[in-house]
Amino acid sequence: MDINYQIPRAALLWILVSVVLVIIPQSIRMPFWLSAVALLCVGWRLLIFSGRLDYPGKAMRVAVVVFTLIISVSQMRNLGVGLESASSLLTLGFVFKLIEMRYKRDIYVVICLSFLMCMVAFLYSQSVLVTIYIAFCVMVIIGAMIALNRSTLQADHRSTWRMAMRIAAQAVPLTIVLFLVFPRIAPLWAVPVQTSAGRTGVSDEMSPGDLSALGRSNELAFRVQFENGPPPLHEDLYWRGLVLENFDGETWTRRRGRSAYSGAAEYANFQFTWRDRVRLGGEPLTYNVIQEPTQQPWIYGLHLAEPLSRNIYQSRNFEAFNNGLIAKRISYDMQSYMSSQTDLILLDSARRRNLDVPQQGNERSREFAQQLRSSVNSDRDYVNAVLSHFQQNPFYYTLNPELLGDNRIDDFLFNTRQGFCEHYASTFGFLMRAAGVPTRVVVGYQGAEYNRFEDYMMVYQYNAHAWNEVWLEGEGWVRFDPTAAVSPTRIRLGVEAALQDDPGFLDESLLAAVGRFNWVNTLRLRLDAIEYEWNRRVVNYDEEVQFELFERLFGEVTQQKAMLLLIALASIVILGVGMTIIRIEPRGQQDPVVRLYNRISDELAKVGLERRKGEGPLSYRDRVVASKPELATVMAELTDLYVQISYRNQAADSGVDRQQFAALQSCFRQLKSVLSPLRQRLS
Amino acid sequence: MTLRQRWNQRIDQWMRSRIHPADSVTLKQRTIYILPSRQGLMFIFAIGLVFIAAINYAVSLAFGLAFLMISLFVLGILYTFNNLNQLTLSALPNQAVFCGDEIGFNVLLTRKPKRSHESLEICFQQGWRTGLNGKEAEALSHADLVEQDQEQIRVFTTATRRGNFKAPYLRVSSTFPLGLARAWSIVDLNLHCLVYPRPIKFRMDEFNSGSGGSDDTAISKEGSEDFYGLRDYVPGDPLRQVAWKNVARGQGMQVKQFVDYVDSKIWLDWDMFYGFSTEERLSRLCYCVLQLDKRNNPYGLKLPGVEIPPGAGPEHRARLLKALALFGAN
Repeated sequence: MDINYQIPRAALLWILVSVVLVIIPQSIRMPFWLSAVALLCVGWRLLIFSGRLDYPGKAMRVAVVVFTLIISVSQMRNLGVGLESASSLLTLGFVFKLIEMRYKRDIYVVICLSFLMCMVAFLYSQSVLVTIYIAFCVMVIIGAMIALNRSTLQADHRSTWRMAMRIAAQAVPLTIVLFLVFPRIAPLWAVPVQTSAGRTGVSDEMSPGDLSALGRSNELAFRVQFENGPPPLHEDLYWRGLVLENFDGETWTRRRGRSAYSGAAEYANFQFTWRDRVRLGGEPLTYNVIQEPTQQPWIYGLHLAEPLSRNIYQSRNFEAFNNGLIAKRISYDMQSYMSSQTDLILLDSARRRNLDVPQQGNERSREFAQQLRSSVNSDRDYVNAVLSHFQQNPFYYTLNPELLGDNRIDDFLFNTRQGFCEHYASTFGFLMRAAGVPTRVVVGYQGAEYNRFEDYMMVYQYNAHAWNEVWLEGEGWVRFDPTAAVSPTRIRLGVEAALQDDPGFLDESLLAAVGRFNWVNTLRLRLDAIEYEWNRRVVNYDEEVQFELFERLFGEVTQQKAMLLLIALASIVILGVGMTIIRIEPRGQQDPVVRLYNRISDELAKVGLERRKGEGPLSYRDRVVASKPELATVMAELTDLYVQISYRNQAADSGVDRQQFAALQSCFRQLKSVLSPLRQRLS
Repeated sequence: MTLRQRWNQRIDQWMRSRIHPADSVTLKQRTIYILPSRQGLMFIFAIGLVFIAAINYAVSLAFGLAFLMISLFVLGILYTFNNLNQLTLSALPNQAVFCGDEIGFNVLLTRKPKRSHESLEICFQQGWRTGLNGKEAEALSHADLVEQDQEQIRVFTTATRRGNFKAPYLRVSSTFPLGLARAWSIVDLNLHCLVYPRPIKFRMDEFNSGSGGSDDTAISKEGSEDFYGLRDYVPGDPLRQVAWKNVARGQGMQVKQFVDYVDSKIWLDWDMFYGFSTEERLSRLCYCVLQLDKRNNPYGLKLPGVEIPPGAGPEHRARLLKALALFGAN
């Protein structure tokens, strides 16, 4: 093979660097051995580069293919046919190509694969940090492309890098235009993102200890921005997630039976009765939620929330579900009616469900409940009595409660009296049901941190909370929070304030420890604000947002209009950027008279009387007249004029100049009219 | 004729009609052609993959990446075009060669101020086809105009026939900087080269001096007829030639030298090689010219319609060779 197609050494270094860079984000998720293989290949390539090792032989290549096949089969078995296994395979093929590549076209395979690896990185995370990193990777890849096409004499890394940065910067405007205007297409076929990442966030089961585990996590759950008016007070921020109606004496679970969250079907049945079961009250409160991936389908809203976005469905208990597991950050709009009431008439089946407690166990608590209920007149009075029982007795709100015995409720209510919200909600629910008051447990989040930089709220995992809803005659389901009775601070100021001195609260994270310093906190909020804006404006820019934007700017949107806009904007940008690349050389500043004279000689050239190089106007005239006598008069006139103007006195009156020029022009026209029959005769 | 060949011919004709011979050509948008390279097509395929993934996973930034790649492709075209734009190629004089040898045509590359041209590949080519086969690739000349404003390069081709050899079209191409597109231009710099006949070696003695007839004489050394002079004895000289009289006078061992007086004006004649074809005659005459030039004795040339009187020296040699090269040209 010819030397011209071999890889320049300088380019190889660039390639290796970009390969390592694009593999790094994958290596975090990839099995360990895969990273090891990748490193091995890069090392091998370096050894080939320095001449200490040769390219793999045929046997080696066959071995590699077999190895890859075995790996792919085992990967498919382990991870299933999905993103994980596909990206692992992509990485494997990618690094193997690396040791095998010899010629420029091989390198282009590697370069194209590098771009695909960048794409894979975006499938997992679209954060600001990842974007900046990938942008850097792309610049290095561009550098590799430049180095590859550069002759070895010019292989100066710094100038290559400068050029790569320049090209990347010039690519930005067109990228933005395409990003904004290019029509987004709905997915062609469904591709479930399978990740080995665990499910996070509030789960659909609640046993003692579940929420306190979340309470130790300072990961973000979701961000909320209120669109009309100020956000509600901290104590009203109950982000309702799931309703747990089944209690087996230890664990509260979501209503069983119907296969879990067939959102669409449930919604379809439900839509009829929404308005019948709800008495709306208060001004609607609209807000946008950007939720972190949980690998679970449910989403969160305040009080009675009505989803405004597509693909969000609501259940009978006014829980909201995304259509499909939430595997990446999603954004949805909700509308809440903060003082509305639901289910003023309770169906018998629902009543039965919400009164059900195990027949056995917790006898003491059962007795306590029945006694207390008989001492008061109404259900509401009973609720208040229970809450004041929590308030007046030494109950503690803590992340580290003592372990409970077999009769959990009894043990908690009369012995340990230490617990996190799930203990209180669970006990409260039991006490209510034992006394014949329909009650259920609601899990979700309570509270939020306000980010003043972009005016939104951040809800963390440690905001996870459980509370109760009690059905009261004439009021429907009413929210009661037994935790608030024990620790009012938790609800009013937030869990950070309530658990300030509690060992175990956020002690895992260094960030939380330094979070007490003011400037660190400010920085944290600022960074989060950037991330939030990035998500809102860029990551969530989809078909819907695009459509809205167009509609706002150009009124009714038609396909033709959108296409026209795309073409117009793209051409403007390409033209603009093109001007910066292709500088247009100024045309020679030619005298208009000379230009006109040249046009005359061009006309004459068409009948075979070209003006020779260095031929003066007079001798040219003579030659023309000699071969075409019919041109004698006009040639004489225009040559006279031309000579007069060209050799004129510089100080001459410009008016005369203009007259003469006009005369020359009319000569030109005359000449053309004489020439046209001549040319016709020629052809 | 297949459809493909016909198509190629059409393109060829169209191309030829656009190329005007000139001593110096500045490349402009009218003369620069650009198409995606094979790597560029692969890149487009990769864009497609990223785009499909972006659609299916509904990942905004993957869309962004696809759009960035599209932008890079567009920029690649613009940059590659600009890498050839406003480059000036001019013909320089070059030396005559013998038929069958490589001709290195000298071409001067000039850039306009504030422009640079990198990784230029220059070669000769007959048609319009962009792909280079192996042979053409070998004859590629590379050039960069980054620091210096001018560079002289040599572009090689093989002299296939004798006479005033006109070089094929010159092809300048480049994929710099991204390699996604190949820009090329085909120019005719009116490059001509004088190609002498290919000398054919033979034993010259047999053909020595066909026609003579001149009173000028020249000495051919080492003969045996006439005494010419003395020189010092070198061991091995025949003792018969030692000037014994001089030895007796005590002047040391000296040897008598004799020379032949011959008609030293050689005429190379077309008819010397009667029976050979025209080209073979010219080739043999060419060989004679080269041999005689080394001997430094005058020689002339007689061709039908051409007669060059005897002479010597490099200019004379060039004149003869040119006559041989251009024989029958009109």
